[in-house]
Amino acid sequence: MVRFIVRRFVSLVVVLFSLSVLVFVLQRVGNADPVRAYLGPNASQAAIAATRIRFGLDKPLIVQYFDYLGGLFHGDLGMSYSTRRPVAVELADKVPATLELAAWVLFFAVILAVVLAGIYTLKGPVSGVIRFVFFSFASAPSFLLATLMLLFFFKQLHWFPAVGRITDTSGGGPTGFYVLDGLLTGNLAYSLDAIQHLVLPALAASLGLGVALARVLADGLSSGMASNYARTARSLAETERSILFRHSLRNASSPALSMLGVLSGAMLSSLVVVEQIFSWNGLGQYLSTAIASADFPAVAGVSLVLGAVYVILTAIVDVVLALVDPRVKLT
Amino acid sequence: MLSLPEIKRLPAPIGLPRLRWPFSIGETIAVASLTLVVILSIVGPLLSPYSPIIPSGAQFLAPGSPGHLLGTDNLGMDIATRLMVGARTSLFAAVVTTACTATLGLIVGTIAGFVGGWLDTILMRITDIFLAFPGPIVAMAISAALGASLSSSIAGIAIVWWPLYARIARGEVRRTATSMHVEAARMSGSRGIPLVLRHILPATLPTVAITASLDIGGVIAVLSALSFIGLGTPAPAPELGLMASTGMQYLLSSWWIPVLPGLCVGVLALLCNYTGDGLRGALRSRGV
Repeated sequence: MVRFIVRRFVSLVVVLFSLSVLVFVLQRVGNADPVRAYLGPNASQAAIAATRIRFGLDKPLIVQYFDYLGGLFHGDLGMSYSTRRPVAVELADKVPATLELAAWVLFFAVILAVVLAGIYTLKGPVSGVIRFVFFSFASAPSFLLATLMLLFFFKQLHWFPAVGRITDTSGGGPTGFYVLDGLLTGNLAYSLDAIQHLVLPALAASLGLGVALARVLADGLSSGMASNYARTARSLAETERSILFRHSLRNASSPALSMLGVLSGAMLSSLVVVEQIFSWNGLGQYLSTAIASADFPAVAGVSLVLGAVYVILTAIVDVVLALVDPRVKLT
Repeated sequence: MLSLPEIKRLPAPIGLPRLRWPFSIGETIAVASLTLVVILSIVGPLLSPYSPIIPSGAQFLAPGSPGHLLGTDNLGMDIATRLMVGARTSLFAAVVTTACTATLGLIVGTIAGFVGGWLDTILMRITDIFLAFPGPIVAMAISAALGASLSSSIAGIAIVWWPLYARIARGEVRRTATSMHVEAARMSGSRGIPLVLRHILPATLPTVAITASLDIGGVIAVLSALSFIGLGTPAPAPELGLMASTGMQYLLSSWWIPVLPGLCVGVLALLCNYTGDGLRGALRSRGV
């Protein structure tokens, strides 16, 4: 087991290194000259030459890469072209916003998946409808779901707010996770307000993920219901529902969990879209702004952070699976 | 004179083999609708009296207005025309993306599976690293680095998506390489590239093609998401993701401007997914 975890950690490091190489290469491949982009079109030749040396762009590429990597280790993600501030500083308060949203998306998606897959497997009266839902919601782009939710829950029903993370922006707490901050500072109203703001964006991003997860789970559940242990349980007069939740779900959960790891990549990209729609002040909205102003260091910074989140998440999922499920082969 | 013993011929099958319509009712509807959508997206813009990028009427006309079936947007451009052109772009781009991706993966996977040895190890390590990346995020980074345009979105997706095909192709090639007909071809002197092209590749193609047909719907969704966050062709291009994102600010007053392009993407992806699924079932039932 220890050997497996060490090996998984080594491969995690290799992937992170490769990601940094890729992002570095992209920064150099990009057709915009970083110095010109930084100084603007009216810069003098002397200023361009001076900045080129200041940025270390006169050195050989391999040296530049190791400078870049060294910077990464010190939390230096480069300078933003549009704001002239370090990207890392700009990202610092956006990371908790996105992580908080992502946590809720995962939470909603798992609940949705269990409910949908459970109903589908138990062959309830609506399982035909769910089959259609499996297909249609897996195809629906997250921006469509987000717009429909805004129209229904915000414009028609006035249940949830449409934009931002919180009504009262003056408050706050130590972590940047608003729900947690409210709890830590004993301000329950703050937490509730934060939750109200979270519901719509989290739902919009979780529907597609939840449905994809439900399909995997439903596969596992239906083969579980046809298995020998389910037959044994039936002969002991257990109800179908109890077999499903007590035995089949546990067995079906590990493929679903590893699927969740893989799907979280798609989740991060739908977060980018959803954050833009709900003016959620996180990495995604920052990325859209950076793309609009062709601010590649900012784009690269967000890609690296989101990429690292994904790579670490999948590694954690793998380790958890190996710890929990004895059937997982440790290779 | 030597005479070979006469080989008894089996009686020829009477009539043609029974051809059954391979799709279920739902899949038939999907295939028919997809065909209709494709025809509409090609013919529609030619028949439409409006240009997709020139204002042609009053602004903010609701769907059902005379002369503008699906209304007009904030600039007074005809939404129906823009949707048809957008759907055409989406479908075409998705097919191109999937074809590039599948070809790239097929080449890498075939080389890795057929040559084997150290080359296989290296190629598969690279594949593993790419598979460990968060695909859509890296696709965004790549197309942002190449400069926002449809072709850089296509390149971005192709670069992150090929490893999947490489995996599949490698597995198929290795499986096929040990089969009887390849053995027979080897014994009759076929080697190297001709052997791969004539005997191994034809056997691996169906699996890759099925995966590709199942992927097109997903690619449509990813392309539209890239376009939504500003990585496609700049405005006023009739691209579905871009139309939805620029229309977002009018959501509460004129819902159709952002919703219709989103619905169009959803329907396209749904039809492609259904058709792909049907295709897989049909090929499976023929033992491919």
